[in-house]
Amino acid sequence: MKRIMPSQHKRAKPFQRSKQMKKGNKLISVLVLAGMMLSAVSAMAGEIRIGITMRMVSENGQKYGQMMMDEIDLINKGGGINGNQIVATLMNDECKSDKGVANANKMIFQKKVHLVVGSSCSSVTLPIVDVTAKAEVPQIVPHSTNSKITQKGSAWVFRVPVSGRFYGGVNAKYTGENIGTRIAYICAADAASQGDCEKMQGQMKSQFGASPVYVAQVQEKEVDFRTHMQKIKTANVDGVMIAALAETMARALVQSYEAGIGPEVRRIGSSSASNSPVPAIAGDAAKGVFFTAAYSHSDKRPIARLFNEMVRKRYGIHAPDHDFSQAYDLIRIVEIALENADLELTSSSLKQDRIAIRDAIAGVRNYQGLASGPISFCSDPAPVCRDGNRTAVLIAYTKGGEKYELEVLARVTMPMDFGL
Amino acid sequence: MEFDFNSLFAFIIFGITIGVVYGMVALGISLIYSGLDIVHFAHGEIYMFGAFFGLVMAKDMSIPYPAALIGAMVLAGLMGMLIERVFYRRLTRSGGGYTVAGMGMIICGFGMSVALMNVAFLIWGADAKPFSINLGMPLQLGNISIPQSYIITAVISFLLMGMLHFFLKYTKLGLAVRAVAQNKDIAYLMGINVPVFISLIFGLACALAAAAGVLIGPMQSVQVEMGYLMLMKAFAAAVVGGFGSLPGALLGGILVGIFENLGAAYISPSHKDIYAFLLLILVLMIRPSGLFGIEAKVKA
Repeated sequence: MKRIMPSQHKRAKPFQRSKQMKKGNKLISVLVLAGMMLSAVSAMAGEIRIGITMRMVSENGQKYGQMMMDEIDLINKGGGINGNQIVATLMNDECKSDKGVANANKMIFQKKVHLVVGSSCSSVTLPIVDVTAKAEVPQIVPHSTNSKITQKGSAWVFRVPVSGRFYGGVNAKYTGENIGTRIAYICAADAASQGDCEKMQGQMKSQFGASPVYVAQVQEKEVDFRTHMQKIKTANVDGVMIAALAETMARALVQSYEAGIGPEVRRIGSSSASNSPVPAIAGDAAKGVFFTAAYSHSDKRPIARLFNEMVRKRYGIHAPDHDFSQAYDLIRIVEIALENADLELTSSSLKQDRIAIRDAIAGVRNYQGLASGPISFCSDPAPVCRDGNRTAVLIAYTKGGEKYELEVLARVTMPMDFGL
Repeated sequence: MEFDFNSLFAFIIFGITIGVVYGMVALGISLIYSGLDIVHFAHGEIYMFGAFFGLVMAKDMSIPYPAALIGAMVLAGLMGMLIERVFYRRLTRSGGGYTVAGMGMIICGFGMSVALMNVAFLIWGADAKPFSINLGMPLQLGNISIPQSYIITAVISFLLMGMLHFFLKYTKLGLAVRAVAQNKDIAYLMGINVPVFISLIFGLACALAAAAGVLIGPMQSVQVEMGYLMLMKAFAAAVVGGFGSLPGALLGGILVGIFENLGAAYISPSHKDIYAFLLLILVLMIRPSGLFGIEAKVKA
């Protein structure tokens, strides 16, 4: 029989002990893990999960997102939705489609959200529509205007803002009747601006038979418009449409005056002209610019006054633009829909809860909030049902700068199938 | 659209005004390359910081625009010297050009670019800031109106570059800078404090970039991301002119400015940024060392 040397024996003992300890540790780890999973599942049950992806690179962008989170927080503090708390995840897509899609995937497959909110930029919202359609998750759009978003035929998407097809019609009608038909276009490469430009040109053609005098496609963040402005100046136009994101538009407006294009040539903005960086950066060059939007802070309704006051106090914004009002309206619509939805909110009911939320949003009719007109949805996955707001407000800047002022020129409700 | 000479003249003027700004940034890049044997990839961010320094001084501190321009140049110069002393010196001491340290320097430049952009983001946020200064009514030349800011940009740029030329060519300090650029070891043996002069070269290059930022601010507003495209155009200008050549940088800048404006006006306005690089490829095909570059120059 082999003798075990004392030293060997001593070495063997701790090894055996550690083996037993490892077994025990494994068991404890498994139990702890199982406990954690169970508690996570039980924590997830009974909560409504919302994933929000937005452009939050600018100061206002951050505040739109913050406003949504604050409003959700207020709902939770008031007892939640039928006793269930909303757990919201806010993510920044920086207006980049790859980041937006990554955010949507993360929210859908990791966070297991019941509803996706987003995005601010059409170029981000467009690919997310495909993601939510494939994953069968309801999506509600806060700011994006490109008409193609609802034309994709997804049964899961709803749009709170006014579609570009309505904006284009209203802008073209006002321009053709009051300004003239010789229009030059500067169109930035982002999806919203491309959509606005395309719709405006199409409407000018169909309503007045007018072709563009000059069209320039520019980069999303173009900084030098002088060549275009010189060419536009020599083309003797009645108006210049600048369809671009806020900062780019502001630069173009300033450079249009620098090139010697006088105020008699009216500047037409795309819907992002509503964003406060436009008058803030463009200063006096913003005066006279007209555009269509979904909200004007000069709205005299009590609800609008209260809203303006709230945004001023809470976020220090002198005059909230329509992206603020749309973010607010979206949360109210979601609140109504969630209250009406028949939700189980268990770990196994995710799919049917998503369907219930989709159907509840489709059931929202004549929501009267801050928006320019009532917002209604229905179940058909077509633009007539999914473009909720079809009333555009025609607005003009009467003063530029930080303390800018606006006037409402008209408020127009378009037929549901307009521009399709 | 009909061809008219007034517009052609306007496009050339626009090209020159933006071109001299490219030239100033390119001059800084060339100066650093001549003196330190490195390509500085964070120069666009120095340009952006300079623009913000000028904006803060002119807008928040109500300092007159010319004083804000000088102030921004001084601040950016000091900032550049600090960056060189703290971050780059260890690497540049081990050599530049094609050495391992030279490669490290390129990567360090990229890192510095990202770091500076994030610092600026934390301080000023991502929003574009208007840099509006009232310089009076645009100058009318026939059918062309040229804003005063364009004229001032061109005049100040030429003035600064002239001063730099005078400094390098006709002063003792300038002679020492050129000696350091030519051969650091021999310059050291001649009694020149080489590290101090390297700092000076870096500071000068950064001051020029800041001046470009302050001059372009009123035309295009100021924002954190403004440096990237400017860096690309300035590189194109530096390569077209001949890397390391100071007059070449200026001429390269002007050529890039004119070429991209004429391309945008007469070929396609949608692809304005491509023309600078088309010119770059064209020049490299015909004269690989650039218009003023020295054929046999080897940096190592």
